[in-house]
Amino acid sequence: MANRNTRRQFIRDLGLSAAALPFLTNLPCLAAPDAKPRRKQRLIVIFSPDGIVPTTFWPDAEGPINAFKESLSPLTPFKDKTLILKGVCDKIRGDGDGHMRGIGCLLTGIELFPGNVQGGSDTPAGWSSGISIDQEIKNYLQASPATRTRFGSLEFGVMVPERADTWTRMSYAGANKPVSPIDDPYQMFGKLYGNLKDRESLKSVLDDLKQDFARVRTRVGAQDRQILDEHATFVREMEQELKSSNQKDVGHPVPVLEPGVHRDNDKMPQLSKMQIDLMVNSFAADFARVATFQYTNSVGQARFRWLDIQEGQHDLSHEPDNNTVAQEKLTRINKWYCEQIAYLAKRLAETPEPGGYGNLLDNTLIVWTNELGQGNSHTLDNIPFALIGGGAGFKMGRSLQYNNVPHNRLLLSIAHGFGHRVTRFGNPDYCGDGPLPKLT
Amino acid sequence: MLFQKTMLWASGVAFLMLVATLPNQVSGQGGMKPVRNSSAPVSAGEKIFARECGPCHGSKGEGTAAYPRALAGNQSLSQLTNYIARTMPPGAKHLPLVDAKKVAPYIFDAFYSPLAQERNRPARVSLSRLTVPQYRNAVADIVGSFRSTGVPDKGEGLQAQYFKARRFDDRERVLERIDPEVQFDFKTGGPQGGEFDPHQFSIRWNGSIVAPDTGVYEFIVRSEHSVALWINDENKPLIDAWVKSGKDTEFRASLFLVGGRVYPIRFEFSKSTQGVDDTDKKKGKPAPPASVSLAWKRPKQPEEIVPARCLFPAPVPEVFVLTAPFPPDDRSMGYERGNVVSKEWDEATTAAALETADYIVKHRQELAGTVDDKTQLQAFCRKFVERALRRPLDTETAQRYITRQFDISPNTETAVKRVILLTLKSPRFLYRELGVPATALASADPYDTASRLSFALWDTIPDETLLKAAASGALATREQIAQQAERMAADRRAWPKQRDFFFQWLKLDQYPDLAKDLNRFPDFTPAVAADLRTSLDLTLKNVVRSEKSDFRELLLSDKVYLNGRLAKTYGVSLPENAPFQPVDLDPTARAGILTHPYFLAGFAYRATSSPIHRGVVLTRSVMGRVLPPPPAAFTPLAASLHPNLTTRQRVSLQTTPLGCQSCHSTINSLGFTLERFDAIGRLRSAENNQPIDATGSYESKAGQKVKFTGAQDLARYVADSDEAQAAFVEKLFQFVVKQPIRGYGAQALPDLKREFKRSGYNINRLTTQIAVASALPVAPPTDSKGLKRVTQK
Repeated sequence: MANRNTRRQFIRDLGLSAAALPFLTNLPCLAAPDAKPRRKQRLIVIFSPDGIVPTTFWPDAEGPINAFKESLSPLTPFKDKTLILKGVCDKIRGDGDGHMRGIGCLLTGIELFPGNVQGGSDTPAGWSSGISIDQEIKNYLQASPATRTRFGSLEFGVMVPERADTWTRMSYAGANKPVSPIDDPYQMFGKLYGNLKDRESLKSVLDDLKQDFARVRTRVGAQDRQILDEHATFVREMEQELKSSNQKDVGHPVPVLEPGVHRDNDKMPQLSKMQIDLMVNSFAADFARVATFQYTNSVGQARFRWLDIQEGQHDLSHEPDNNTVAQEKLTRINKWYCEQIAYLAKRLAETPEPGGYGNLLDNTLIVWTNELGQGNSHTLDNIPFALIGGGAGFKMGRSLQYNNVPHNRLLLSIAHGFGHRVTRFGNPDYCGDGPLPKLT
Repeated sequence: MLFQKTMLWASGVAFLMLVATLPNQVSGQGGMKPVRNSSAPVSAGEKIFARECGPCHGSKGEGTAAYPRALAGNQSLSQLTNYIARTMPPGAKHLPLVDAKKVAPYIFDAFYSPLAQERNRPARVSLSRLTVPQYRNAVADIVGSFRSTGVPDKGEGLQAQYFKARRFDDRERVLERIDPEVQFDFKTGGPQGGEFDPHQFSIRWNGSIVAPDTGVYEFIVRSEHSVALWINDENKPLIDAWVKSGKDTEFRASLFLVGGRVYPIRFEFSKSTQGVDDTDKKKGKPAPPASVSLAWKRPKQPEEIVPARCLFPAPVPEVFVLTAPFPPDDRSMGYERGNVVSKEWDEATTAAALETADYIVKHRQELAGTVDDKTQLQAFCRKFVERALRRPLDTETAQRYITRQFDISPNTETAVKRVILLTLKSPRFLYRELGVPATALASADPYDTASRLSFALWDTIPDETLLKAAASGALATREQIAQQAERMAADRRAWPKQRDFFFQWLKLDQYPDLAKDLNRFPDFTPAVAADLRTSLDLTLKNVVRSEKSDFRELLLSDKVYLNGRLAKTYGVSLPENAPFQPVDLDPTARAGILTHPYFLAGFAYRATSSPIHRGVVLTRSVMGRVLPPPPAAFTPLAASLHPNLTTRQRVSLQTTPLGCQSCHSTINSLGFTLERFDAIGRLRSAENNQPIDATGSYESKAGQKVKFTGAQDLARYVADSDEAQAAFVEKLFQFVVKQPIRGYGAQALPDLKREFKRSGYNINRLTTQIAVASALPVAPPTDSKGLKRVTQK
């Protein structure tokens, strides 16, 4: 790009029409180099399990969103920033049962390896045979100094079972390289702010340490004092370094976590909120530009007792359509997940873009998805994809209905939205016509 | 410091060139001490100095009335050279550059450079920080002191439980036994020794594993089925391949371990599908093959199945392994010591303190018995600080280190963290001993005595027994101190440090490059080379840790530990899979460790022996003589240029010039005695169709001349030589105590040597007595000539 004469020339080369210009300037790779600094784009992929209830989830028709059905109703304040995609299907087949492929191929778009994990049906399988889109985009952003961040990506979770198998992993750093989400907010806090806390602790003991050096100094002979004095200067230097690094700190108040919230099914609401708060903070601090957020796991069996639902989610999801009580409960469960998405969107919208224009939601794309279209049929057709926020430059505030398109094309669209213009992602057989139409 | 090292390096370039293919033997300490001994010739530089500079600067640069300051500074060698050429001697005519280039290195190395100043300083016991191994051991042992003490039982191998189910259900257990190592091929059946469904069985191995050396260990697990490996962490597997995916059957992961310590290990295998139970579907169908193995790559060693001698069936508690990297300790005097501090070292102690604090906070339930009970945590902290500082706390220290931290911290977790940071950054922890040492036992601090013993013998903090002895007044007499030292020297914890000493003494600690010419030595694979190191290790341990612990046996024994693979290479008849065992190897030619094939192969070229390298180690390490670096750079004569000469003849040819002979007459004459052993240390009788000449000679410091007919003659001489024994005592002392022996009085060496002889040259006894000598008070020097002996002995 550096040796192209003009931005117009470059766009002509790409074969884009002048009509696309106003929007495209928002894309990082097309922004004029001398214009305002390129905006920070962010991606959050959120997973909730066991499919949805189609009748209370999908909008009836394509077009602008006027009102949501019950499951999506919490998103009402963000309906102008929401894009619902129906008709996007996970076409990946091969080894593994529907739940396994559902989560393992969801972000990778490629088959699972044969393996030894036996599902409720089909053949046993292992890990995914390719990288997931979140890690792909993270690698793309980390490759350039302009978009590189301390962590690149952060993998959050809530009540992800403490076992690593095909059902509990959706993010992959590569073939056979599942990435473990961190579902303990305190652990995530340590990862994000551990250094800062260390510096504070060190600072707090320095006075005592210096006094101790002074006390000890009088006890050694003159010849030995030299090494102690030299040592004491290093301690003073550390003090100065700690002081000067203070100004370079995160640039936002370090979040204070409610203490003592342990991993427990009934603590899911608190855990979810804590993780979301940490995620928003880490974006504001520019620790990372990509995050995944996984509620439980594929075949998730959370018990939503705080919604007065005693059965496990997965058991409920197997109930037939005509069990209206079960379907109503499943609707409430998905509405609860949607409330979490809405809370995240709200927090992002409330947070001004540091050093930039607008707020974090303007520059973040939330992708809320699921391993199944519907739990009782285990279908991988009509995988729920609810997109919120302006991060990828898609045209929001709409409901779109595609005709049975492979989800690999959506993954491609997201990559392109972040300026990563790959022509295939995952299994190339399902990338045929490139990114999905109508998104922008 | 770095710059000065570079200069030293430069002055040693000549020697380096000569040994270019054997970088390991010269890289470290002692290798090129530019100190002259009386037998070395007077260099041109020294002559120029005496003639041109001495009149004003004094014969040793100490200054005269004309110029009353010592020649000492920190300019680099090239700066010093230019300065001399430009300004010296003062007046109209200065030294020509060619002479300045001769005199400057002499001045630099003899007394000018900081290193030379350090060398020329009168010996004293100086304030020393913990060395890096001491630091790592200390934090491991402080944390470990809050855990049960599990010492592995006798016995080798792992406790194995076999189940006829895919999970480890005690009701399904079929078999329990000890497996010496994990390497099984079950093919399409089940394990032997019980009834198993070939579709579905599982095995769990439990026990502990010793890391012989400090460094990064790579573990390699192979299986077509589910496997998971835990090492030194009960919760987080090092390798988790429970999910089988794709064609991978090999899984690797690396882990830093501190040498000489024993770690818990658990290894699990399951042949079956995971997830939903599909047992019924498989009934009557053929079972797929199954195998499982557990291998490792020790630091700088090739892969091998983890051998039984490194595995124990008994469990041990987890060990806190500090991973923070440290800059290496100073070894300029031939042993690691804590005489300098640097910014990098200070930063490393910060990182290490943070790492330790994190670990303790994370494990506080286990270590302190509580997560947030303030009283319990304060009690824990008090013990922690006492153990780290190696003494009970006075009121002020307790207040500063503990009470105050709990008062000012927002919560108990932060308080614990601060206590640990403050303690581990404190000079009281970081220095082995603070305060002016007592000059008489009556006034000695028993806790200082305890620390001296434990750092000397174990390189770590005192254990509970020792601290109790200090508290109860049971470290007040020489006999009581000796009793504790004996207890500690007999403990298994004393061996890792002794072992390190022997590898350093023989200059084998840096892992010599044992890649040999495979045309000439087709059997000499990396596995054979690794076996040789193990063989020397076993030989050392079996002599040193035996009742007699006899220095002479080390030098005279014709027993060499061989396994099947080594036996084949060295021409002994043993079964192919034979484990290591003592074998009489070439009993008419070999004698002890100086003819151990690892030593001989380590000091040899790829295809030929190297009498010079062997001779240098014999001269420096074994006989304790000082060698200056060679006067110029030499490349060894290529064997191909002199196809009819033996190695001995080629070496003689190259070192004939008079300038070489002052040192090489000693080096070669010792090195030639090992000529009956080729580049892999195998016995030979001819080279290039000429019979081997292994005769040699040695002129002692006292001027006594001896002749040797070969290695056995040499070994007998060394075993009885007063000079070799003195060198051994001094080197062991300095390695153990990490202070110069002369700092302990002029009589320390002769006294210890006499005791050594009286004990029948018992190495353990000597180690004990060194520790005792270092724990007893020392009088300060009373005059410029030497040190006054303390009368406690």
